[in-house]
Amino acid sequence: MERIKIEPREDWRETAEAHGFRFHTIDNERYWDESACYQFSLREVEDDIEDPSGELEQMCFQVVERALADDAVMARLGIPDTFWDFIADSWSQQHRNLYGRFDFAYDGNGPAKLFEYNADTPTSLYETAVFQWVWLEQAIERGLIPENSDQFNSLHEALTGTFGQMGLSGLLHLACCKDSDEDEGTIEYMADCARQGGIETRLIYIEDIGIDTQGRFTDLQDDVITDLFKLYPWEWIMTDDFGKNVPASNTRFIEPGWKAILSNKGLLPLLWEMFEGHPNLLPAWFDGDAGAAALGGDYVRKPLLSREGANVEIFQDGERTVSVEGDYGAEGHIIQALHPLPGFDGNYPMIGSWMVASQPCGIGIREDNSMVTGNNARFVPHIILD
Amino acid sequence: MKRSRSVKLVAMGTGLLLVAACEEAKVDTALFESVQQCTGLGFTAQECEANYKEAQANHVNVAPKYAKREDCETDFGAEKCEVAPQRTSTGGSVFMPLMAGYMMGSILSGGRRGAGQPLYKSANDRSTFRTGDNKAVAKTTGRTSVAKSATQTASAKTRTVSRGGFGAGARSPMRRSFGG
Repeated sequence: MERIKIEPREDWRETAEAHGFRFHTIDNERYWDESACYQFSLREVEDDIEDPSGELEQMCFQVVERALADDAVMARLGIPDTFWDFIADSWSQQHRNLYGRFDFAYDGNGPAKLFEYNADTPTSLYETAVFQWVWLEQAIERGLIPENSDQFNSLHEALTGTFGQMGLSGLLHLACCKDSDEDEGTIEYMADCARQGGIETRLIYIEDIGIDTQGRFTDLQDDVITDLFKLYPWEWIMTDDFGKNVPASNTRFIEPGWKAILSNKGLLPLLWEMFEGHPNLLPAWFDGDAGAAALGGDYVRKPLLSREGANVEIFQDGERTVSVEGDYGAEGHIIQALHPLPGFDGNYPMIGSWMVASQPCGIGIREDNSMVTGNNARFVPHIILD
Repeated sequence: MKRSRSVKLVAMGTGLLLVAACEEAKVDTALFESVQQCTGLGFTAQECEANYKEAQANHVNVAPKYAKREDCETDFGAEKCEVAPQRTSTGGSVFMPLMAGYMMGSILSGGRRGAGQPLYKSANDRSTFRTGDNKAVAKTTGRTSVAKSATQTASAKTRTVSRGGFGAGARSPMRRSFGG
């Protein structure tokens, strides 16, 4: 694995706009960054990222089974008990999951280490599946990278192929919050994939969703929402005013309710407890557990529900050396052994390994100037070249 | 090759008509044009009546609605439309196709699940029974098996009584994405 400086396409901005990639620059900061790419060998991709991702997914299913069999685990994850039956039903009725993203620290040597699993609302989908792919094709064509370069990225094919198999009952609504170009771009892309899979779609803002007298969710045309793809975290759904209406609404959600167990950082100590010593896992405990002392003074403390690095704290020799702002943490914390992201010329890449219908199908790399991959991370493309 | 062979984006616009996935589960059901046909197939009169009533009640909700009778008849045929109980926002009449038949919910061993569904026939295809959201169900009456989705109540126009109950989680400042 190497980080290689390369020449950006001079027309990349126009190309991005032409492909509907509107959030390539965010708040005047570059988000899409093709002044470099990461190069992997095929062995690194297959043995160190792809295979472990498939294995971790199966281990996660065992965590779901365990949580559903033990109320104490559900309580520990901070999931409201009013949702336990709903989540159990979504699992026993095999409501299918569409996608997720494992985040790994990896530098080409030794096993990739799982930082967390974005199992519910993973972002950076479009830029991984489409724009990274377009970059590869054009960069080869223009001689910016060797012509036998490949990419671990069949995400688009996997998505378009999966929608038709999801057991959707009719019109699929796709919802995200207002005021986020990035999220809107993501659900537009998702809708595009769904339509290619033969599914009729309609977009709606999550804030615009309504409810009828029978407790069914409705759109702005007063049509009942039977199937809803929501780019909106389960833990917010559960605490929103309409949350109490979810279990009886009969709406089929994507991601399904059982993903709430996996998108929680409590997954990490549960995985460690069940598969201690697994090469892709870092030691982790719920904050306050006796085992946590074994980590000594070097560890990371993460809120159960934090996103994009918010409220993450790094401790070294018992001193807090990094602390990220945010408003998470009231729900509890986990602590995880400190495993610094590898540095490549002062850039710290996090490898996002994408799953579609629980199959590994591509990677997207976000790099930050600090060891916590946050909202300011840049997306950098990758190639496979042996 | 470990990447997609092609990446195609279709233009935004009106969605395609749903094509049921080939693997979609089939369920057993039965179609009738009348309650008599239903009892004739060995179902109890009580069951047949109840189902017919459910279908009629659903009919009012799920039938396509038109502001002009001729528009309705263009789609469903001459004399094949009736006045719906609903009114337009300006108080005008609303038209909907006549029920051409009805379908039981799925028939399971010893019982029945799901409500009776109204069925329609379009002007350009008089031989096919369709649901309120235009899924083709079958060409003949009697016992049959159909795609599971076709036995579910068609997407119904309803009345929204409240909005804005989702989204509170997003009201925290300084976010550019609500995912992660």
